[in-house]
Amino acid sequence: MRNRSDRARVGTDDAAEPVEDPVRTNRLLPPAVAVALVLSACGGGGDAVDTGGGGGGGGGDTLVAAVSAEPDQFDPHVTTAYPSFQVLENVYDTLVVPNAEDLTMEPSLAESWETSEDGLTWTFTLREGVTFHDGSEFDSADVVYSYNRIIDEELSNSFRFQNVESVAADGPQTVVITLTQPTPNLLERIGSFKGMAILPEGAADQVDLTTEAVGTGPFRLESSDASSTVLTAYEDYWGGTPSIGGVEFRYVTEPAAALTALQNGEVQWTDNIPPQQIESLRGDDTIELQTTPSVDYWYMSMNYARPPFDNRDVRRAISFAVDREAVAEAAWFGAAQPNQTAIPEDSFFHTDYAPFERDPDQARQLLAQAGVQTPLTMGLMVTDEFPETITAAQVIASQLGEVGIEVDIETLDFATWLDRQGQGDFDAFMLGWLGNLDPAAYYQEQHQTNGPNNYQKYSNPQVDQLLQQGASETDEDARKQAYDQAAQLIVDDVSYLYLYNPDVVQAWAPGLAGYQIRADKAINFENVELP
Amino acid sequence: MTGQPVPRAAAGHTAPGSGAGHTAPGSGASPPPTEAGVRSTQRPPRPRWRETLGLLARNPTAAVAATVLLLIVLMAVFDETLAPAGPNEISVEDRLQAPGWDHPFGTDDLGRDILSRVVLGAAVSLRVGFLAVAFALVAGALIGLLAGFYGRWVDDVLMRFMDVLFAFPAVLLAIAVLAVRGPGAGNTALAIGIVYIPVFARVTRASVLGVREEVYVRASRSVGASDFRLLTRHVLPNAAPPIIVQTSISLAFAVLAEAALSFLGLGTQPPNPSWGLMLAEGRGFIDIAWWLAFFPGMAIFVTVLCFNLLGDGLRDVLDPRQRTLMAGGGR
Amino acid sequence: MVVLAGVSVIVFALVHLVPGDPIRLALGTRFDQETYDALRARSGLDQPLVEQFFGWFGRAVSGDLGVSFRSGETVTSLIAERLPATLTLAFASILVALLIAVPLGTLSALRPRSVVDRVATVLSQIGISVPEFWMAIVLILVFAGTLGWLPSGGYVPLTEDPGGWAQRLLLPAVVTGVVSGSVITRFVRSSVLEALGADHVRTAQAKGLPTRQVFTWHVLRNALLPLVTVTGVQLAYLLSGVVVVEIVFSWPGLGQLALQAVQARDYPVLQGAILLFAVVFLLINLVVDLLYTAIDPRIRR
Repeated sequence: MRNRSDRARVGTDDAAEPVEDPVRTNRLLPPAVAVALVLSACGGGGDAVDTGGGGGGGGGDTLVAAVSAEPDQFDPHVTTAYPSFQVLENVYDTLVVPNAEDLTMEPSLAESWETSEDGLTWTFTLREGVTFHDGSEFDSADVVYSYNRIIDEELSNSFRFQNVESVAADGPQTVVITLTQPTPNLLERIGSFKGMAILPEGAADQVDLTTEAVGTGPFRLESSDASSTVLTAYEDYWGGTPSIGGVEFRYVTEPAAALTALQNGEVQWTDNIPPQQIESLRGDDTIELQTTPSVDYWYMSMNYARPPFDNRDVRRAISFAVDREAVAEAAWFGAAQPNQTAIPEDSFFHTDYAPFERDPDQARQLLAQAGVQTPLTMGLMVTDEFPETITAAQVIASQLGEVGIEVDIETLDFATWLDRQGQGDFDAFMLGWLGNLDPAAYYQEQHQTNGPNNYQKYSNPQVDQLLQQGASETDEDARKQAYDQAAQLIVDDVSYLYLYNPDVVQAWAPGLAGYQIRADKAINFENVELP
Repeated sequence: MTGQPVPRAAAGHTAPGSGAGHTAPGSGASPPPTEAGVRSTQRPPRPRWRETLGLLARNPTAAVAATVLLLIVLMAVFDETLAPAGPNEISVEDRLQAPGWDHPFGTDDLGRDILSRVVLGAAVSLRVGFLAVAFALVAGALIGLLAGFYGRWVDDVLMRFMDVLFAFPAVLLAIAVLAVRGPGAGNTALAIGIVYIPVFARVTRASVLGVREEVYVRASRSVGASDFRLLTRHVLPNAAPPIIVQTSISLAFAVLAEAALSFLGLGTQPPNPSWGLMLAEGRGFIDIAWWLAFFPGMAIFVTVLCFNLLGDGLRDVLDPRQRTLMAGGGR
Repeated sequence: MVVLAGVSVIVFALVHLVPGDPIRLALGTRFDQETYDALRARSGLDQPLVEQFFGWFGRAVSGDLGVSFRSGETVTSLIAERLPATLTLAFASILVALLIAVPLGTLSALRPRSVVDRVATVLSQIGISVPEFWMAIVLILVFAGTLGWLPSGGYVPLTEDPGGWAQRLLLPAVVTGVVSGSVITRFVRSSVLEALGADHVRTAQAKGLPTRQVFTWHVLRNALLPLVTVTGVQLAYLLSGVVVVEIVFSWPGLGQLALQAVQARDYPVLQGAILLFAVVFLLINLVVDLLYTAIDPRIRR
């Protein structure tokens, strides 16, 4: 309770400040706002009330973004929900961030860094002149506090610090991270998303982080209720004040509704586009639609602990029986690229390997060779949390039916799904991994013997050894080689039956400038200018 | 066993528990074929099937509704013979084809024939509806019968429990049951059934209260008929009309509820075709392929409408005093 | 009170019977035993179930419904946040429903078996039979899509933007209002019919009292009783969150909250929401009973 009132006081101070601040760049904007309001009012329809409304904090107009779901909470270290990160991306910063073009790590709150010879000590030099939304200065103590909070409280991202021995400040502008073993992907671990955000020291004790935010990012969290979250521009943002006055994330569950809202001007941006309309929307000049292959992958995996799926031939038969093109087409209407390995072509760690061509005859032959009686029944666990798994499973079921495998599709809610996955109670399941940047994360956790996310119970000593090598190798090309070899074994053994990489699909109002669509689906409105 | 309930002074002539407690309608209301006023010492004529059907046939709306329902049921029974294609013949190349010669109702997003799925879906949707109502009917009628016949603490305990169940919002109760039992057609029927138990219990109880003190019941009791015999031979048959009407109306709501739960992803599971699920799957396509949602939507609408109209007709014939609880559960 | 206690026990039992682990869910697809244990201890789920129940019940009585697993906010504040939207929609729908039902039902009862009566009967049957989410989707398609007159969904508080509030309220209120209105129409018709046939009305007519006076004084007054009941039932139904309509219109009501809570296995929120619905239901019943005695002093219940 005390924390809340403290925040409230800080909040009012802040709100008062802009009015007295003479150097604000967007002081000149109010007349423009008025014009916009008049114009849209003349236009009739529902937009008149929306464009100028909302936040009210900054001087510029508010961008209204339609997102598909409500954030569960705003503590970046605790939440695992994508809708929360859509908001937090604009509120918090990390030491390093993925570059918008190729997702390699570039400076953010850390200006530069050095690695010791043995790869065990990383020294980060922090940016100067950065302030938090509450006005306090950013320094090394904040980094130490934030990282230790994740480690000490065993929060959901603590696995990212697995190899970290200590995080220490060396003067206000320097942070030293000491490792137990060389970790070439440390930057990915601490910067790939805002789950590794830097909070001001002691933040968890001073404010209620689940509903409030004190970041260093371009926008401050103004308010959030059951229908929208409102951000306002942070004037003292180290990267320069955003040109828009704020962002309103409005929750629109139905894709068709989100699209309608964009087309009639209620919102200016959305990522909730019905895939079946992507094709027809490309020629629609009332909106600007862009797509880019994402670093998400969707896959099917079979249970190694449950015969006959422990048999490599059976798994390979299934892999031969699946037509990935048709699955991708059915689920995404052409907005997904079939892939037999994890991440798409543009990525540095892409492995160019596609040994399976759809071949029902070979599939039947492999099943016979394995001594499997057909029809064989296989349960396939999917979840309504991700409807594309349901669609894809129906197509897979009809394809496997052709080779004598009867697929029993089990649609579960996600909680039950996860339970059964954890208990190993499945023949096969389908799911996706999102935002895959470094193979040390995704291959190792998913395919190493006893890896934390190796639910299929795959075990291949050769793969283990290659993955170990990749995890500690500091030379990029040698690393890639190790992962390429591991990937081929994983595909051949069908530890995962990789299916496709969906495109990131986003659309915005024509004339909206400065927005960049990203393969990691991070949504950043920092440089956006309204039409 | 439980002593003779003291006959309430006036209870013999006005039917207690007829909903709001106001007096029974005289003329003016829907034409009362069984005169409500004649409730004298004679045993009232039991509604006979032939009579009922005859009266029903004279009500054109109800007759049409019954005929259409019969056709739908026949369609559900002979689904596999009637459907031109299987429910899950997927062909991604033929997806989203508009209605035409090859596919009179068009194809869906996976290239399946919608006409076939609507035909096959009849069986799924109706089975859930019938199972749900059968469950609610058996459980609810039993509870209502016991409560109404024995009165006193039996009535108190049972009906208090029904009140608790009734206090839950219908949809949420169904959702919670499905969350516990997992989704699927059988569990959907169970969930909807549980929701409707209190409705049947109340209707039955009210109806039983109405006949309990009738002279013929008291007469049988006085000659030493067992409770079981009393219940099965005298009370239940004479208390049945409102229950029959309620059944028809509940079938309508059960089909709607199945659709709503499937729409929320909790009811029938893909790839099984149920109308509600097809409607849910089709809603994302409504602006580029209206036929995905239109035909299953129409199927639901027509079926529900027919059950409601039939229920209305039955009410006119069987239950002119309108003891049926209409606004229970789902709507 | 007995009902309420029963509801609490059932709510708690039901909610905890649901398979699926909220903590596992909170961690997402990635699993880590230590993190899991830490989070579980923090949520209090490692306590014995009976202890959890009495803890929850004791606090619930004093108005503390606990803290959401998912968002970390208190359940009372989550509910309070959603209450305005739910109340708005429920009362707007009842208004629409009564605006449809009272004139239509009365008209058709005054001229039974006439064209008006038949049309009204058919319309109300259609209104009852149409799946409401189907109607919702079609209305969005027509009024927000093709015509572009109204926003497709969402909610803004009245205090912030009255115009936008009304625009967004219209479609969902019409959908739920038409359905409820159809149900109520049938009740109005039959109860007006009944009242018209009642002895005292016929006596009044026989005495030669003016029709208008008979109608307003004797008929409507008697027809009001069943109307109050059915309106109460419908209001209770609307207040418990019209989940499906809320979802189609992105309306941030209690139904949506409860559905999300089921999906996230957010026990405290689900318990709180269902308990609230039960209380609302009982309160409405109480109010209906009180109105009864106020309207018709003969009734003692």
